Amino acid sequence: MMRTFLVALLFVFAWAAGSLALEASEKLLFEKNSLYQYIAVVEDTAKNERYVRNQKRDYAQGGIYVNAPEKLLFEFTQLGFVSLAFLDREPRDVLFVGLGAGAMPKYFNKHYPEANTDIAEIDPDMVPVARKYFYFRENEKMRVTVEDGRIFVKRSRKKYDLVILDAYQNDYIPFHLTTVEFLKEVRSRLKEDGVVVSNITSPFRNKFFDSMVMTYKKAFPHLYIFRGKKSGNFIFVATANGAVKEKQEIEKRAMKIQSARKLDIDLAEIASRVEMSDDYEWSRAKILTDDFAPVNLYKYQKSGAQK
Amino acid sequence: MKQGMVIYAIVFICGAVVMSFEILGSRVLAPNFGSSVFVWGSLISVFLAGLSAGYYVGGRLADINPSSKKLGLMIMVPGVFFLAFPLYSAPISDWIFMKDMGVRLSPLIASIALFLLPALFLGIVSPYTAKLMICSLHTSGKTIGTLYALSTFGSIIGTLLTSFYLISVAGVNALIMAQGVLLFIIAVPLFFMGLYCRVD
Repeated sequence: MMRTFLVALLFVFAWAAGSLALEASEKLLFEKNSLYQYIAVVEDTAKNERYVRNQKRDYAQGGIYVNAPEKLLFEFTQLGFVSLAFLDREPRDVLFVGLGAGAMPKYFNKHYPEANTDIAEIDPDMVPVARKYFYFRENEKMRVTVEDGRIFVKRSRKKYDLVILDAYQNDYIPFHLTTVEFLKEVRSRLKEDGVVVSNITSPFRNKFFDSMVMTYKKAFPHLYIFRGKKSGNFIFVATANGAVKEKQEIEKRAMKIQSARKLDIDLAEIASRVEMSDDYEWSRAKILTDDFAPVNLYKYQKSGAQK
Repeated sequence: MKQGMVIYAIVFICGAVVMSFEILGSRVLAPNFGSSVFVWGSLISVFLAGLSAGYYVGGRLADINPSSKKLGLMIMVPGVFFLAFPLYSAPISDWIFMKDMGVRLSPLIASIALFLLPALFLGIVSPYTAKLMICSLHTSGKTIGTLYALSTFGSIIGTLLTSFYLISVAGVNALIMAQGVLLFIIAVPLFFMGLYCRVD
């Protein structure tokens, strides 16, 4: 009886393991259950790409081309750099909240080696993963601090030109990094005319998306939105001060930055996608606060708010 | 046996309130202390410490002439804490944040300050009701098992209801205050039941 049971159990495990199997071309390089997440580094040997995932077959959290690790593989990482066109000066102090595979800070540091780049990452296990599998290297100008992003921002005495928020995962959004109180804390860490850019993964319009738009608009005077073409990503660019930026001006600047910094991404094309947030106005969508921010439930709820 | 059913319902609701409060506690801590593993560790251990102290104290109190009236009073204590919660939670959290006792100690101290006493009083309920039912209603040992089961089942419902639903219905402070109101409501029948026993 016991033996039959054990054999049955073995079959169940074998079946479960099989259902988790990777694509034929994929190879598992590393896996670990860290304090915060399951980390899997997977290489696609056909496409020659390497990803970090939170579930074996889920969307990647980040990744690189194995043969060209200095390039930006994912569209959302390229989109994010459009924020540079909103700065009225060269960025000297920059903060990334969320390391992931380290692709964005690595790229930024390569093209802006003179800028001071701080990175806040909650998961201590992500740092060696980024280093070993994604060619991310800290240096004199670029440092990672292992700390919750919100606490880093609250404790920081520094002022930044640019803050990049990239700590929302597909399956889990830390609510305390979405609220109007948090965004105001970020704003207080910005220099005058500083810029915040945020990567939002969401279908166009559900309750989460609507609330994010209205919350950013509450915390910042101006919000600009860029839509991914290959992915369901949106990039929010919010400015702390100053006048509205015109589309032509942003495109012109993007083109200038692209050639001056030798960026291998089409920043001007990305800039041309700019959407003014006046078109995104859902007055009935709830503003997210420290008291009320059901973000992980909102992701699965259809938007009810009208213009 | 009607009175027994009322007691069962009260134990169920207190079990639900404890865990709902714990889930909401993670939201209370996050703005100042983040949602690191230290925050979760502090939160869970402080709730367990409160409950275990409550079980101990509840057992001792149950040996001193237990009555439904006294039980009603003890359920109203966390009710008062919950109703006043929005008044003291932010100032205490902000103060501990400013003191900056490190990533481990800060959330631990904050959890003790905000959650220990309400959890303790809610922990009193189970052993106290067990003694009260056995000595005044003359029920058997089966009662104790039923109370344990109902209390834990209530905790399951409280956890699921809060994390799957309530959090999108109202703000954290409003939910905590509503639970304070709920505790006052369930305390009312206890004052009319007149259950008591003398322990010599």
